[in-house]
Amino acid sequence: MTAPAWLEVLNETLDACRTHGRADLAERLRRRRDAPEGQIRLGVLGFPKQGKGYLLNAVLNAPVCAVGDAPTPEVPTEIGYAPEPAATLVGRSLERTPVAVDRLTGELGARPAGTLSRVEVGVPRELLSAGLVLVDTPPVGDPRSPRTAAALDLLADADAVILVSDATAPLSAAELALARHVRTWCPHVVLALTKIDASPGWRAVAERDRGMLAEAGIDAPVLPVSAVVRQAAAKTGDAELNTRSGFPELLTWIAEQAARPPEQSRALLAAVGVRAAAAELVESLRDRVDTAAQDAGLGQAALLQRAQRRADDLRRQNTRWQNLLSDEITDLLGDVEYDLRERTRKIVTTIDQTFDEGDPAKVWDEFASWLDETLADAVETNYAWLAERAQWTAQAVAACFGAQYDRALPELPLDGSGIDRLDDVRRPKIEKFKIGQQAFTGLRGSYGGVLMFGLVTSLPWLGLPLINPVSLSAGAAFAVKTIRDEGGMRLQRRQAVAKQAAQRHVDDVFLRYSKEFRDGIRIVQRRLRDHFTGLAEDLADELTREREMIVAGTAERERKTGHIRREIDRLAGLHQRAGELGTIAGRKPRELSA
Amino acid sequence: MTQDVRDLLHAAAGLYRDDPRASAVLHDCLNRLEQPLRVGFTGAPSSGKTTLAAALGEWPTRALRDLVLLDDPGPADDLPDATVRLVRHLEPDELSAAHPPGGSAFARQSAVNSVLVLSRADEVGAGRIDALLTAKQLARRAWREDPLCTGFLGVIAVAGQLAYGGRSLRDDEFDLLAAFAAVPREELERHVLSVDSFTDPAFPGPIPVETRRSLVVRFGMFGVRLALTLIRTGCDDRVKLSAELLRRSGLGELRDTLAGCIVARAEALKARTAIIRLEALLAAQPRPGGDRLVSRVERFAAAAHDFRELRLIADIRGGRTALSGEPAGEAVRLLGAQGTSPADRLNLEPDADPGDIYDAGLDALRRWRHEAERPDRPHAERTAAHVVVRSTEGLLSLFA
Repeated sequence: MTAPAWLEVLNETLDACRTHGRADLAERLRRRRDAPEGQIRLGVLGFPKQGKGYLLNAVLNAPVCAVGDAPTPEVPTEIGYAPEPAATLVGRSLERTPVAVDRLTGELGARPAGTLSRVEVGVPRELLSAGLVLVDTPPVGDPRSPRTAAALDLLADADAVILVSDATAPLSAAELALARHVRTWCPHVVLALTKIDASPGWRAVAERDRGMLAEAGIDAPVLPVSAVVRQAAAKTGDAELNTRSGFPELLTWIAEQAARPPEQSRALLAAVGVRAAAAELVESLRDRVDTAAQDAGLGQAALLQRAQRRADDLRRQNTRWQNLLSDEITDLLGDVEYDLRERTRKIVTTIDQTFDEGDPAKVWDEFASWLDETLADAVETNYAWLAERAQWTAQAVAACFGAQYDRALPELPLDGSGIDRLDDVRRPKIEKFKIGQQAFTGLRGSYGGVLMFGLVTSLPWLGLPLINPVSLSAGAAFAVKTIRDEGGMRLQRRQAVAKQAAQRHVDDVFLRYSKEFRDGIRIVQRRLRDHFTGLAEDLADELTREREMIVAGTAERERKTGHIRREIDRLAGLHQRAGELGTIAGRKPRELSA
Repeated sequence: MTQDVRDLLHAAAGLYRDDPRASAVLHDCLNRLEQPLRVGFTGAPSSGKTTLAAALGEWPTRALRDLVLLDDPGPADDLPDATVRLVRHLEPDELSAAHPPGGSAFARQSAVNSVLVLSRADEVGAGRIDALLTAKQLARRAWREDPLCTGFLGVIAVAGQLAYGGRSLRDDEFDLLAAFAAVPREELERHVLSVDSFTDPAFPGPIPVETRRSLVVRFGMFGVRLALTLIRTGCDDRVKLSAELLRRSGLGELRDTLAGCIVARAEALKARTAIIRLEALLAAQPRPGGDRLVSRVERFAAAAHDFRELRLIADIRGGRTALSGEPAGEAVRLLGAQGTSPADRLNLEPDADPGDIYDAGLDALRRWRHEAERPDRPHAERTAAHVVVRSTEGLLSLFA
């Protein structure tokens, strides 16, 4: 036997559903494909308290379903033919527990929720003997509840559906939506209008319902019924009352469903299923394309624009930080040198003052330690100031890049002023006026005095010898003066020598450290330049990559969107083919617009 | 209480002097405090709001005299002081839709101003003759067991159509029903099975189809069947039948709840509405200097004992506390479920001697203090007892 034509279309649609992440639709189609032959499943669907249970009991003329305020099972109840009344609870993992029919309600109440998958009931009814199965479902309600899901699960394998709504009020918006959904998945639907016995205005309600269904494009007949009247008729065997209950018409409709040629019926069901699945899938794919297009339209332009803006920013920022760095470093060089010079100059002034008055021979030692200390101090202070300025400069440059970058500054190569390497000032050669020298100088001075006064006193009218007390006294006076003069000169010489030595030392220190510091600043400059150049390059690279990704992402999205568009076209084709395979006579299928 | 609210509203009016819209709202709030209590009837379309409001509205009783019944009030600007929420079935979907909306902390804490009504109780159980009894049991069970029914002052099954029909039963209608009831039951049974059979030309007797139709439209098929049964079992005149229909319709229970828990608290409930509107205004249009007013409102809300009493009444009656039997009865009475005067609360005659009232109050206070301080009781029970103690202290303070 060749595979029926619908099988191929169904399989293709099923694959498409699976590929596009709609396993639920795929599962429905699979169940439609693998439905057991020789069984007609007739589902009963409706909102709570519309009289589903009463309706089914009245159809079967047997109290099978829970009615009134008895708790409705959370799972579907399948009612099929059995020679003796029997009920079976089917668990989640399909384990079967037979129970007595009259204890069914109690047993159901005793089971914790979620442990059952369905209930099977067998009743000896002629109506069901040809393989008809009536499926009572949990009431439809909140679209997110498991009860509703369990009820709508019926649509996967129902051959026909009885929708139940009571005659006390016209169809609500939710009921109409349910009817539309059911009709999409199932070709044969009837609306049973229950409780007409209690509603004086049921005829008007039936008309309203018919109108609403027609307006919504749902072709489903409306059959008013009354379970109460049917029950009374059954009790008394009153045929006329039975006709009035409306049930004979409903039973005729049910019999029609059971009598359909199975092959044709399966083709139709498959076709309707394919069309419903294809339509739902196309809708979700379209949503996906729309959102993708929205994202892309909004995203791409904005992203590229943003990247461009950031590139411009980066360029401006590069100029800014380079200028800033070079300016700051030039300033720093000048300032540091000036500061050091200023500090050394003050030291030199103090040196001058010291040696203008003091005798180096006496104060040198004390002076030398003061000088070393003061110089070290000056250099250290100058260096500390330099380091601070360098750090500040680094931060100022980092701030050009943005606040987040001033934490990751490079390590500046400022590892101490090197003041400990400073040599102590060398003691200059300071001659002291020693005793021997003093004696010699005194002798030399006294010589003139002795001679001068000796000659004068040795003149004839005095007649004194050359060496006499007067000449000797004069010699002594001359000696003292000479020694004093000589001492003064020597002191000045020593002071000059000491000043010179100290100044030269200060100059040496200034030269040495101003050079060292200048070099240090240059190294700092280089280090900062390298660091920030690197950072700028990184940012530029990142921007380039981002841009590439934006462009690549767009291409990828376009590729995907194109793929989805082609899929939509393919599904529209499947939808149409399914429409050609199975149509209800006299009805023109509405096609999906590709 | 009302004076406090008035002061708050006046203070707010000063704050919003330059805003005509806000001023109008505050002015309206002030006016409403002087007007009768407004009870809104809400529910899905065709849940019987109009019928029920009509049935209650024409009640010639003092208890409900000072009420304005609003049929399906608008969402925001016409905030009712109390609500009767109608559902057709006690289904989770309908119940969660009927649950009072949230709002400020005070609005939620004091949201004990609604009664849940299982309307169209005559449709329960496919309109069998015991439908009303079943409906009552269902409502009772839901109130005690369903978490979605917490916070309602009552869950009451009411057959609105029956109540309205019973209340306005006319002599000619009674005569018609009595004539039908005179037909042997077996013979009549198939003719009162459904609306169609009742209005069928084959109906025995000379009564025209249109008359029968108007009867069934007014009472419903269930109502007609019930009336016939009642006439057969002894309600042999209009007054008796009318009373019996009313009694069975559940309207009396609804009226008692409205009178005891809502009309008796009219001042508190009107104050609540005003405070909620004031809170909404302060939240929507904050003003400099509004903080002080907000904290005054909060202080007022925290001190409002009436809502604690109402919530505890609802919890005790809904079987959500450990109290039952006589202590439960005494507690709800002391909480003011049967009137808020000291004599009512202490179950004494209204003209009882003040000394007796005072003694009875002291006695109740002593006993409930004991309950409130028993260390062997769970915390929730002691808290409940504390609320009762606070109510008793309140009534004693009137004698100081």
